[in-house]
Amino acid sequence: MHQHEKEVLRTKKKIAIIGNPNVGKSVIFGLLTGKYVMVSNYPGTTVEVSVGHASFDKELGIIDTPGINNLLPMSEDEKVTRDILLTEDLNGVVQVVDAKNLNRGLLITLQLCEMGLPFVLDLNMGDEARSRGVYVDSKRLEEILGVDVIETVATSRKGIRKLVKSIPDAKESRFSFRYSDEIEDGAAEIITLLPDARISKRSLALMLLSGDESLKPWLDALDEGTVNKIDEIHHKVQASYSQPLNYVITKTRLEEVQKIIRQIESTEKRESSSVLESLGTWSVHPVGGIPILMAVLFFTYVFVGVFGAGTLVDFFEGVVFNEYINPASKSIVEHLIPYKIVQDFLVGDYGVITMALTYSLAIILPIVGTFFIAFGILEDSGYLPRLAVMVNRVFKTLGLNGKAVLPIILGFGCVTMATLTARTLETKKERIIVTLLLALGIPCSAQLGVTLGLLGGLSVKALVIWICSVVATLFVVGYLASKLMPGESFDFIMELPPIRMPHLSNILVKTVSRVEWYLKEAVPLFILGTIVLFTLDIMGLLTSIETLASPLIVGLLGLPVEATQAFLIGFLRRDYGAAGLFAIASAGLMDTTQIVVSVVTITLFVPCIANLFIIIKERGLKTAVGMVAFIFPFAFIVGGFLNFALRYLEVIL
Amino acid sequence: MTESEGNTVTENDVDELLELLWTLKERNVDFVDEVLRISEQKNPESIINFMEKEGLVKIEDGRIFLTKKGDVMAKSIIRRHRLAEVLLLQAFELRVEDIHTEACKFEHVLSPEVTRSVCTFLGHPPTCPHGNPIPRGECCSRFKKEMRPLVLSLTDLTPGESGRIVFIAPKEHRRLDKLSSFGVIPGSVIKLRQKTPSFIIKVGETDLAIDADIAKEIYVKKA
Repeated sequence: MHQHEKEVLRTKKKIAIIGNPNVGKSVIFGLLTGKYVMVSNYPGTTVEVSVGHASFDKELGIIDTPGINNLLPMSEDEKVTRDILLTEDLNGVVQVVDAKNLNRGLLITLQLCEMGLPFVLDLNMGDEARSRGVYVDSKRLEEILGVDVIETVATSRKGIRKLVKSIPDAKESRFSFRYSDEIEDGAAEIITLLPDARISKRSLALMLLSGDESLKPWLDALDEGTVNKIDEIHHKVQASYSQPLNYVITKTRLEEVQKIIRQIESTEKRESSSVLESLGTWSVHPVGGIPILMAVLFFTYVFVGVFGAGTLVDFFEGVVFNEYINPASKSIVEHLIPYKIVQDFLVGDYGVITMALTYSLAIILPIVGTFFIAFGILEDSGYLPRLAVMVNRVFKTLGLNGKAVLPIILGFGCVTMATLTARTLETKKERIIVTLLLALGIPCSAQLGVTLGLLGGLSVKALVIWICSVVATLFVVGYLASKLMPGESFDFIMELPPIRMPHLSNILVKTVSRVEWYLKEAVPLFILGTIVLFTLDIMGLLTSIETLASPLIVGLLGLPVEATQAFLIGFLRRDYGAAGLFAIASAGLMDTTQIVVSVVTITLFVPCIANLFIIIKERGLKTAVGMVAFIFPFAFIVGGFLNFALRYLEVIL
Repeated sequence: MTESEGNTVTENDVDELLELLWTLKERNVDFVDEVLRISEQKNPESIINFMEKEGLVKIEDGRIFLTKKGDVMAKSIIRRHRLAEVLLLQAFELRVEDIHTEACKFEHVLSPEVTRSVCTFLGHPPTCPHGNPIPRGECCSRFKKEMRPLVLSLTDLTPGESGRIVFIAPKEHRRLDKLSSFGVIPGSVIKLRQKTPSFIIKVGETDLAIDADIAKEIYVKKA
């Protein structure tokens, strides 16, 4: 990715593709570059900026930007896109507009006009618009704006050739409009203070009047006196309005947009709705939505949990790694390298190949791979935001909104990966709560498998106690965290894109790019984690930690001393911890109460070491240390409490 | 000062100045000089003097404050004025530019009873068309739905109904920004699709899911 970015920066000419979310930007990008990237319905997943070379002009670099609703940034995505327009030396912009949502598209168009950037307007998805009875007069729009307006249907490649031809002709729009006198006067005053920039001073002045704080880094180039003066002008103009200026400005723009729309759009009533549309309606229905939700979760579980975590893992771990790769690498390493320590480092109990690679490639990869496919289908179909709608209320008690359902679900696949995806959430508070809940109580698929095996063999009652203890703990902790933690809670305002039939090729390409991401971001951490373990092991520290911890295990939890090792190993690999307990239980060393207590404690106890590294990487060392400092004792307190409660109440399991 | 004492200060003059003081207070302006400069009345000094004598205002260090008595009066004038503005815009569909001047006439004639009816009729709107808060009256806290209000909160619509947004009264301005980017602003027509498990509204061809507490802040007039 980074290499590519540099290449584009090196090209003499470049253009950017911008537009609202879900208008087909990425598909257009794929058609223009011949390189396909992430296309998604879920707001927030195209945070990455993709770049490529135009297939029709090797000298031309193309930047695909995150979806935006306004160029006065309200999210990280919008800021990224605004900054690209502000700082990149662009030869032109292609704005992709959803033909059925002209008002939202044209709000951005007007800002492009103000910026004085040369652009071409791509009126996309005309087919969807027409099926809803929306007709747009693109010729008239062309006259009004004074730039090329090209109609396309990207998914069937219609109009792309015309679009390619128009790109070199991108020109500045001659369209302009006035704000109220106060705003115009303020803008005029600010313009005199501004240095030359890539975009027009008028647009910058309006951004500054809007009090756009994300412009701060850019303002640093100005001297303090000028910044103060701008601030003064902002306050002066603001004084004439009871509403914030950015809202007043956006409102003026939207009014202007409405004037344009009245000239170019005609609609006719369509009463009948398509099958997909009714499916979309049903999927958020308070009653009808539930079976759909259940069905979606069930199929996801079958595909990821049974096929991915079962069939594929059995094959890759049991056959490919344990029968071929690991024995083969063992004998190769033992033949080639005479030193015991190096041998152990590579193929020992905590070896890079035998543990880190086996774990990350044979166990996690099939799980996240199948999860990414399922996720991609849900994303492209437009179901994900609807899923968020269905679970929003439940998540509210946790201080989260429905969007957080995704990392949590992914957590049942691999907590480490899920923690990585928590960055798609909008506020810091939510990211921390999700990270905490994942680390605390979401068992990953590997652990879940062993745990269910262990408890399923006992009794339904044991299983129910385990589920209730963990769920109750999650809710209590989530609720308290949301109440105690400072920071804004997020407003749930989410677009529901139409339900669309997913394209297989999109999903595959997307899955490949995500697997690539996993290999680059997570696998090195699994290796690092293994190296830490290996080091602890050869220094004999593992045994000392075991000795130190055993009073806690035996005293508080009432477990046999052998369980200590299982807990320690659980930190390395969650499923090994559970498997350790399984072995102790099978040996008849624990009674049923002990099994339940130990399983609940190990579920809550520590994330695996790779997850810990990800937490440090994503949330910072301080937060990570705080979480561990909370989770360690807390897991034991809950376990101890459960132990006490079960014994005191003489619950027979 | 002697020459102005000859001028009689009318009730209207006092009302106008009280109104001015209240709006300036909302913008945190309280310097006497500033008040005199902004006032469009003929002889603001003498009105202020008169009001000080009547115990409606206090002047300290060049700053002017409403006394408790003055505050109560100003609040009631502002309430009448701003309610009148909403009424003129909503019910009589006057142009926004004209409503302020017209409302100035209304504010002096509305009796407490009529004010209460107007407020109920409009659905106890929290802000005037310019976005300024309307001081709450007794009727607002009782909020009896005896009369079918003309302007209702989005939460009062039945799924399937549409309405034109009259005003949005968000607790946080961030919400306004976010909503406006989706085209949810006063004047746009929205359709309420459903209320549970989340509110879903349709603006143009965009479906938006929003929290109930955001929906509550959107006021519409049924289309």
